[in-house]
Amino acid sequence: MAISPGSGPETTTNDDRPETDSETDDGAETDGRTGAGDETEAEGGAGAEPSADTRAESEGGLESETAPAAETGTRSARADGTLVWPARYVREHLVHSGVLLFLALYPGIYTLLVNSPLRSELLAVLPEIETMVAVFYFGLFAMSFDFISGYTGYLDFGHAVFYGIGAYVVLLVATGKVPLLPAETPFVLVLVLAGLLAVVFAVLIGAVSFRLTGVYFAMITLGFGQVVYVFVRGWDYVGSNPRDGIAVSERSGFEIGVPFVDSLDLAIGQLTGDELSVLAIELSTTEVSYYMVGLVVVICYFAMQRIIHSPFGRVMIAIRENEQRAAAIGYNTFRYKLGAFAISGFFAAIAGGLFAGFRRTATPDNAFFFLVTGDALLAAIIGGFGTLAGPLYGRLFDEGVREFLSKAGEGGGLLPYLREHLSEAVLGTELLGGMTVQGAIETFLNGHASLYIGALFVLFVLFVPDGLLGTIRARLGGPVGKCLPDRAGEYVPERFERYWKGLER
Amino acid sequence: MTLLDVENVHTYYGESHILEGVSLSVAASEVIALIGRNGVGKTTTLRTILQLTPPREGSVTFRGEDLQGLATNEVARRGIGWIPEERRIYSQLSVAENVRIAVPSDRDADAALKNAYETFPDLERFGDRDAGTLSGGQQQMLALARGLAGENDLLLVDEPSEGLAPRIVAAVADALAAAAEETTLLLVEQNLPLALDLADRFYLLDNGQVIDSGDTDEVRAEDERLRRHLSA
Amino acid sequence: MTFLLTVTIATEVVSLVSELSPLLASGFGLRSPAALAFFPDVTLVALGDALASFLQPVNLFDVFLNGLAKSALYVMIAVGLTLIFGLMGVLNFAHGSFTMIGAYLGGLILVLTVTGTTGGLARIGLFFVGVLVVFGVLAVLGGVLEISLIRPLYDRSPVYQILLTFGLTLVLDELVRIIVSLYGLQPISDWQNAFGTRPAFIARSLDFGPVDVPGLALFQIAFGVVTVGAVWAFLTRTRYGLIVRAGSEDAEMTEALGIDVRRVFTVVFALGAGIAGVAGVLLMWDPVWGASVPLAAETLLPAFVVVIVGGLGTFRGTVVAGILVGMVDAVMTWWFQNAISFTGLPQITIFLILVIVLIARPQGLFGVEGVGGH
Repeated sequence: MAISPGSGPETTTNDDRPETDSETDDGAETDGRTGAGDETEAEGGAGAEPSADTRAESEGGLESETAPAAETGTRSARADGTLVWPARYVREHLVHSGVLLFLALYPGIYTLLVNSPLRSELLAVLPEIETMVAVFYFGLFAMSFDFISGYTGYLDFGHAVFYGIGAYVVLLVATGKVPLLPAETPFVLVLVLAGLLAVVFAVLIGAVSFRLTGVYFAMITLGFGQVVYVFVRGWDYVGSNPRDGIAVSERSGFEIGVPFVDSLDLAIGQLTGDELSVLAIELSTTEVSYYMVGLVVVICYFAMQRIIHSPFGRVMIAIRENEQRAAAIGYNTFRYKLGAFAISGFFAAIAGGLFAGFRRTATPDNAFFFLVTGDALLAAIIGGFGTLAGPLYGRLFDEGVREFLSKAGEGGGLLPYLREHLSEAVLGTELLGGMTVQGAIETFLNGHASLYIGALFVLFVLFVPDGLLGTIRARLGGPVGKCLPDRAGEYVPERFERYWKGLER
Repeated sequence: MTLLDVENVHTYYGESHILEGVSLSVAASEVIALIGRNGVGKTTTLRTILQLTPPREGSVTFRGEDLQGLATNEVARRGIGWIPEERRIYSQLSVAENVRIAVPSDRDADAALKNAYETFPDLERFGDRDAGTLSGGQQQMLALARGLAGENDLLLVDEPSEGLAPRIVAAVADALAAAAEETTLLLVEQNLPLALDLADRFYLLDNGQVIDSGDTDEVRAEDERLRRHLSA
Repeated sequence: MTFLLTVTIATEVVSLVSELSPLLASGFGLRSPAALAFFPDVTLVALGDALASFLQPVNLFDVFLNGLAKSALYVMIAVGLTLIFGLMGVLNFAHGSFTMIGAYLGGLILVLTVTGTTGGLARIGLFFVGVLVVFGVLAVLGGVLEISLIRPLYDRSPVYQILLTFGLTLVLDELVRIIVSLYGLQPISDWQNAFGTRPAFIARSLDFGPVDVPGLALFQIAFGVVTVGAVWAFLTRTRYGLIVRAGSEDAEMTEALGIDVRRVFTVVFALGAGIAGVAGVLLMWDPVWGASVPLAAETLLPAFVVVIVGGLGTFRGTVVAGILVGMVDAVMTWWFQNAISFTGLPQITIFLILVIVLIARPQGLFGVEGVGGH
């Protein structure tokens, strides 16, 4: 099959995916593999068919499902068997905890570093806190995209519908345009309602679309997405010029926390958010937004991660690897796909709601357009398709590059740095056709991030097709959270172990 | 003189090891039958010769030239034709176009088409029809006509009688016998009497290995020597 | 069916909202109940009047002619995409960018060569010079991109080819944006100077008795017919066309017949890019489209619709679907201009056609199941 990319009758969903290896490590892959191998053999001497090996290779996910006893992952269970639970818990979540700790400290680190002697260099390189908020909510959207497309193999080119629904529900409620819901309805409640509305849409769209596969699925979801986009763009209920979207001016900041309890709520937004001082640390509105949006995103991530690691998630992966086989074993794949779609729609709407809550405005073009889905696709591929956490890092990479190479003005990025540090002589030097160095940097480093992002994306597709996290997983031989402690664990946890055992006595 | 020499080839699909050291040789103007159960690697052997599924180990030599590293179209242009399993005619092309495409230059195409119609008179009536509208037997005839139109020195024929009515099988056998007069045939065939009737020599494959070979005169279809490895 | 249901539900919700609105308006600061309707000012009576007007022969003819012109454009922007998908199974997201580059390049050639005194026929002549140059340049660009970027991906899942062409779109669009801005043009608005190079009889309406016929529409129809004829002749009357059709159906078999299918891939990708560019040159003179950077996305989406509705990879299907979409667009544009004030009406209908066709006949109008890579 070296020549034709798709001459066979098989759909795209059945194609080998590079991330297979890393992913199947999630479950009880040892048992799964052996079982799968036997079965393929037993299936008859049809071993000469090219598809047979794809089948054999692409098992893993399913087998562990048919043998739920093996659910916890044999290898790590065996390795951890000697540890008492707190140590095991710490170990299993070592990487998670590390990342969370870093994220929790980032605003402080940022403030410290940009006040250090290397001030201007670091200002140019480090993403601002405001950028990080965007990384959070859009990263959540990209993760929800990965949840459906990366894990079931169905490319949803209309995913922005759900993001847009989230954003518009929040803004419509806040501008008092939704009957029965006053403008001051608690934000968290509206988020959940928006999520539920997205679930309804996902079920309606999915019920029709999941009868199709491959490019056809991508195209019908694109079609639905554009129908909604064009509708919203002309929907004059939202305002006299629907193309400009909705903006909230009157309502106070959107608060995240326990509804109706003021002391347990913190408002987000750069101008309307709360400030906070804890233990002599002053947090600006942007920093409060960072923590509160981050909190919601982290909760959503763990929820999705739980689902992926549950039997339900393993069926999703099985559908990606070989849907016919999953159906043959007796799963109603249609229901699983629909369920996964609804869940992913829910979280996409939460992401959209956070976006609207922080920015207090959204337009059809930045919430519903198909290129919004395209941005999520970008983040998912760069971060690692089918890795869940990857798209968040992908978005961080994406926004980081965007800020570094194109943001003008207020602090961050390469342009202000060069303006400040290049001498007049250098800046005035003439390059080609009368353009000076200054002219060139003003042209190429100002607002044209898509050029660099696009080029980087092409390079990723060509040379790092598994993305950042996917590649690391392939190197380690499994999810980072599992493998890193396993490797490092050969030395470190022994101490932990003795310590905990000592405590137990 | 040896036309084709397959030496100790190992071929994989992904990680599955399909051919585990197959060797065979074909002399010019011979007819060779490749027999064996379903899934033992007969089709893969043909695909390996064509470099559609290149071997990981071993060599395929055609007229003294090692084919390793050549693209399939280059292998084909050296004079190896393929009449694949399930025919694979172009269903959306007309019958005439199916024959024309196999001829390297448009100038020779008319003559090749005339030739094909002489060999398979049934096809002429349908010349302008989409090949997909033909019956199974007619499609097999077309596949043979396309394979022969390339005027190759070696023709790899995969299961030509599969799924055809007995009357049509006889016609296919006649066509193959006629083809054997002009070219060398390497024939994969489940229909053992037919295979032994057409072929000069046979190779018996099992589990990706040649386990027996010899002159077809030495054996008959009922022989235990073959049946052991052929019945399911 | 489900979609109908969605629409019904949506309508229900709207009517519910409208009923509630007088009660709620005070509490929620609504401006007026009328603001709640999707299509304000539309009543059944008005719709009836509009229908009577629509059915007048003059109006019908007008819509039909506009429809043909739009059909020609839709076929032009989709043909290259269909050829590429049919043969290679690559859904080329960069197709719209090729069209957009063609529009700018064609505009550039005309703006540089046409002066105020250039006669009408000379302008048409220069237009065709532009067409040839643009075809050549984009064919080379397409060929180079195929060899350098897409070729390494043929052994991988088709998803990666989609992704790669998506990335290409970002790069190409942004490059054009930079270049266009350097020359002081606004990348997001149509290039007015390019419109200025139209000969008078194309910019005007021609008077045929009771009906006015826009010269531009006639020109587009003629251009589309010639292009379709040329591509059709290439596919059915030349050996290379035969190879392309054979390769579209079974690339591996074709390779085994001694044909270098990879080289055919390159040629077809170049051809597809070239035709996309030519479509851009045609759009550059049309005030509805015009040369601008967003033209890339504006043409890509309808091209997808046409290609899918026709049946991925079939030339005949693409032509029929192009005509269907063009006609529907023209009808809906008339209704938008005369009766229904919802701006997105033509566009939303086009995407609804896509959705409905995919539900009712997923392989498209002329597609054969299992052919064309999926």
